[in-house]
Amino acid sequence: MHILDTAKVQICLALATVLLLPFVLNSGILATEILIYAMVVAACNLLLGYTGLLSFGQGIFFGLGTYVAGVLTTRWAVPIPLVLLVAVVLGGLVATAVGWFSIRRQGVYFVMLTLAFAQMFYFLAYTFSDITGGDNGLLGVPRPQIMGHVLDGPWGYYSFVAIFFLVIFAVLLVVTRSTFGRTLLAIRENEGRAAAIGFPVRLFKIEAFAISGAITALGGALHALLIGIAPLESINYHTSEMILVMTIIGGSTSLFGSVMGAGFYLLLSDTLSVIWPRWLLLLGLVLVTVALFFQRGLWGLVERGWDAFAERRKGPQKEAGDV
Amino acid sequence: MIYLFQILNGIGLGMLYFLLAAGLSIIFGLLQFVNFAHGAFYLLGAYLTYDLVERGVSFWIALPVATLIVAIVAGAIEALLLHRIYKLPHTFHILVTVGIALVFQELAIIIWGPIGGSVPTPDGLGGVVMLGNFVYPQYRLFTIAVTAVLAGGLWWLLEGTRVGAIVRAGSESASNMALLGYNTMRINTAVFAFGAGLAGLAGALAAPIRGVEPFMGAEALSVAFVVVVIGGMGSYTGALAAGLMIGIIQSLMTTIWPQGAQLFIYIAMAAVIAIRPRGLLGRV
Repeated sequence: MHILDTAKVQICLALATVLLLPFVLNSGILATEILIYAMVVAACNLLLGYTGLLSFGQGIFFGLGTYVAGVLTTRWAVPIPLVLLVAVVLGGLVATAVGWFSIRRQGVYFVMLTLAFAQMFYFLAYTFSDITGGDNGLLGVPRPQIMGHVLDGPWGYYSFVAIFFLVIFAVLLVVTRSTFGRTLLAIRENEGRAAAIGFPVRLFKIEAFAISGAITALGGALHALLIGIAPLESINYHTSEMILVMTIIGGSTSLFGSVMGAGFYLLLSDTLSVIWPRWLLLLGLVLVTVALFFQRGLWGLVERGWDAFAERRKGPQKEAGDV
Repeated sequence: MIYLFQILNGIGLGMLYFLLAAGLSIIFGLLQFVNFAHGAFYLLGAYLTYDLVERGVSFWIALPVATLIVAIVAGAIEALLLHRIYKLPHTFHILVTVGIALVFQELAIIIWGPIGGSVPTPDGLGGVVMLGNFVYPQYRLFTIAVTAVLAGGLWWLLEGTRVGAIVRAGSESASNMALLGYNTMRINTAVFAFGAGLAGLAGALAAPIRGVEPFMGAEALSVAFVVVVIGGMGSYTGALAAGLMIGIIQSLMTTIWPQGAQLFIYIAMAAVIAIRPRGLLGRV
């Protein structure tokens, strides 16, 4: 494992991100969005980087979370903590179901199935418009309150989300470094051998899916509370694509790479979409470039930069040793 | 009777789905390459047809020209870019082709605008056929006839000719083909162009029925995936059966429960996967 990928360094990087974002960015909404997507992308990374499952259906759980928040707060005024809990539980359950179906096939077929399920849930939301609001979405999702004080300022809600982000990030760090996480790595490396040793591979994959889905749904719910609506777009193909693209751009070998991927994508979109509405064309070219030249993503660049730095510092002694 | 009518509609739709899925399946069979840009080629075929017809070109010329241009564009992309990434894991195939699909989608918006448009029914097929009490558009019968002939021709090409034998041998073992002296890189380019051309043709044929809009590619892609998953990848008859099944289900549901028509495509897929994970006719 790379020295930057140890749990201590990773959690420090996450903490530094949370503390620095308010100084770097003017928009509290953008900063909050980065943290929300960072945890969603890290959950996608649990599947892609640690289990070897490329899921094109993360938008299902994200959208589910936004609808849970939308329906529960606008129809029944359910308290926010309960809303978030329901989002997590429902996200985990739906992910278990989608996972159960999808992992019946492997490799490319798995990817195709997750994409098809993403479409299925989109059309579910579109069809049952009396629950989801259809094209209009659900409007008027309120911000949470803490001790009678509504978090409607730009940075108040940021702090609220930051706590969730740090907790989730720590949980994912623990999960990936536990026996469970190591087993996922074994499955990624050689599924046949992991099965031969006696691991219930399918169960492990479904569990990874459930964890990922629960976190993604939490992110979706937090996002609905942020922007005040639960739109139909949150469950469409584009959301799934965006989460996956963030994961790969960030680099799937480290959890903090996912934070970088989310930040990079959202900052790029925030800057470019103002200048040129057709900025997705540039994104398309970025994706091709990443695949051709930066296969380990942004995190790969960081590791390479660190190695070069460390090499230069201890350079002379090592060269002497080599000779 | 309305159901019979919708089944006929569904066959027309299903044959278009089959064309899409067959292209995807042929490319995957030979190249082991996941082409998420397949929907973009469908989009390009539809928009080129739209553009040419708008300029006053006859649909009968626009159809082959659009198909050919899609095949050439796809061949160029393969030769310049894609062959470099075959060796990489599937993740990067997906990343690159998703990127290409985004570029096409945005280019379509830049060139043709965000709204989309409709393509008039081609000359000579604007009429209707009476089926009992129902009128049936001639153009739809035409698409069924064309795609049926194509399906037969494609089957003959793959199973009955030397070209087909080379393609099938290549999908069994590309390295052996190279050892036998075949220029596998050129074969790869040709097959990719051909498969993308099928998607372009499907788009061109669908344009007068469904019109054009910038996001049609993503929908076509996911339908093609569903057909391939249900039919069993690499199975030609499976793709045909699954395409027809999906087309007919979608058309029938349009009568029974219009809002849920699209949804049922995916429910059908989930049902097949639950019962038979490898698909209807898949071998592996």
